[in-house]
Amino acid sequence: MSSEPRPLHDDEALILRIEGLLAQAAYQDNPLREPLAQLFEHSQGQRHRLERLVRISDGYQTAARSDSQTLAEQYDRQLRRLEKLARISDRYQASLREMSETLREASLQDQMTRLGNRRFLVDRLNAETERANRKNAPYALAMLDVDFFKAVNDSYGHGAGDQALCKIAHCIQEHVREYDHCGRWGGEEFLIILPETALESARQVAERVRHEIGTMRHDFFDGRITASLGLTLYLPGETYSATISRADMALLRAKAAGRDRVEVA
Amino acid sequence: MNALTIEGSQSTPSIFADWDLGRLIMRGDSYPENSFEFFSPVIDWIERYLTESAAPFGLELRLVYMNTSSVKAMMDIFDLLEDAHGRGRQVSVNWYYDPRNERVLDLADEFREDCSFPFEIAADEQ
Repeated sequence: MSSEPRPLHDDEALILRIEGLLAQAAYQDNPLREPLAQLFEHSQGQRHRLERLVRISDGYQTAARSDSQTLAEQYDRQLRRLEKLARISDRYQASLREMSETLREASLQDQMTRLGNRRFLVDRLNAETERANRKNAPYALAMLDVDFFKAVNDSYGHGAGDQALCKIAHCIQEHVREYDHCGRWGGEEFLIILPETALESARQVAERVRHEIGTMRHDFFDGRITASLGLTLYLPGETYSATISRADMALLRAKAAGRDRVEVA
Repeated sequence: MNALTIEGSQSTPSIFADWDLGRLIMRGDSYPENSFEFFSPVIDWIERYLTESAAPFGLELRLVYMNTSSVKAMMDIFDLLEDAHGRGRQVSVNWYYDPRNERVLDLADEFREDCSFPFEIAADEQ
């Protein structure tokens, strides 16, 4: 730092004047000259100190300011990174959740008929059994089997058989009540669960489903395809397997009695 | 050690780096138990390559699922590339996604946002 900061105009004039007075030969013997010279020197020293102080503290201030700007920039940058990280991560998570939802749905659905599959039915059976015991409100259970289905497959081919099954599945779904559950138990067997339903109402639903299946028309032949149903009520305290066995027994009786009918056990 | 090969597993991508070709390939899902540990040799390799070699560098990605810490590791890697790009190095990323999983396209696009080096996202027709 070579250049001294320029004093203010007034200061400069004063300094020049004092310097001038001190240099004049006429005042060399003036008794005030010596103390004035000391005062002048002292004042100049103070001025220099003050200037240095200002310069140094300005320097610190600039440094601190640029530091805090850098910090603020870093902070903003980290914040943006973090937001981006969260955004990307959220998207991955959302797509995983969707995928698991799709898988869950697929795992509960029968691929061919689009009805609930056996796993779905077992879920429902567990839930309804628990509810029936808790609320002491038994559910009704109907096991439905398509009559002479093997003959349909044998005579018209599996394609026709599958088509008929899908139609029947759709028909069941359409004619049970909104809060009933139905699904494909296996092969040409379907299960209908009727929550909190008395036997007489359940029989009406079962009869309606049987009737509707029997009146359906099929593309591949002029005849009718019928179904038999075994119906029973859940008995408090028993396992749902016991209920299913009873419905099966009723179904066998319906078959033995000539099919296309609902039997109750 | 200029070669880097990491076998893939169910939770970690397979990684293959070729120093002479200036190429690093990552493929698979990435949700390692310890992402920092898993990715640090990868990041080291890239850093070393960008320091010691003057040749171009290409990163080839075929990643499907990534957990949060893997996303962070990828962002760190892209930052490395961005810095190198700023110093005048030739770097590029090619991200291939399974056309059956279009979501990855959006995710890759999100990664690309702050990158000024060549960053291609393309359907993987393999």
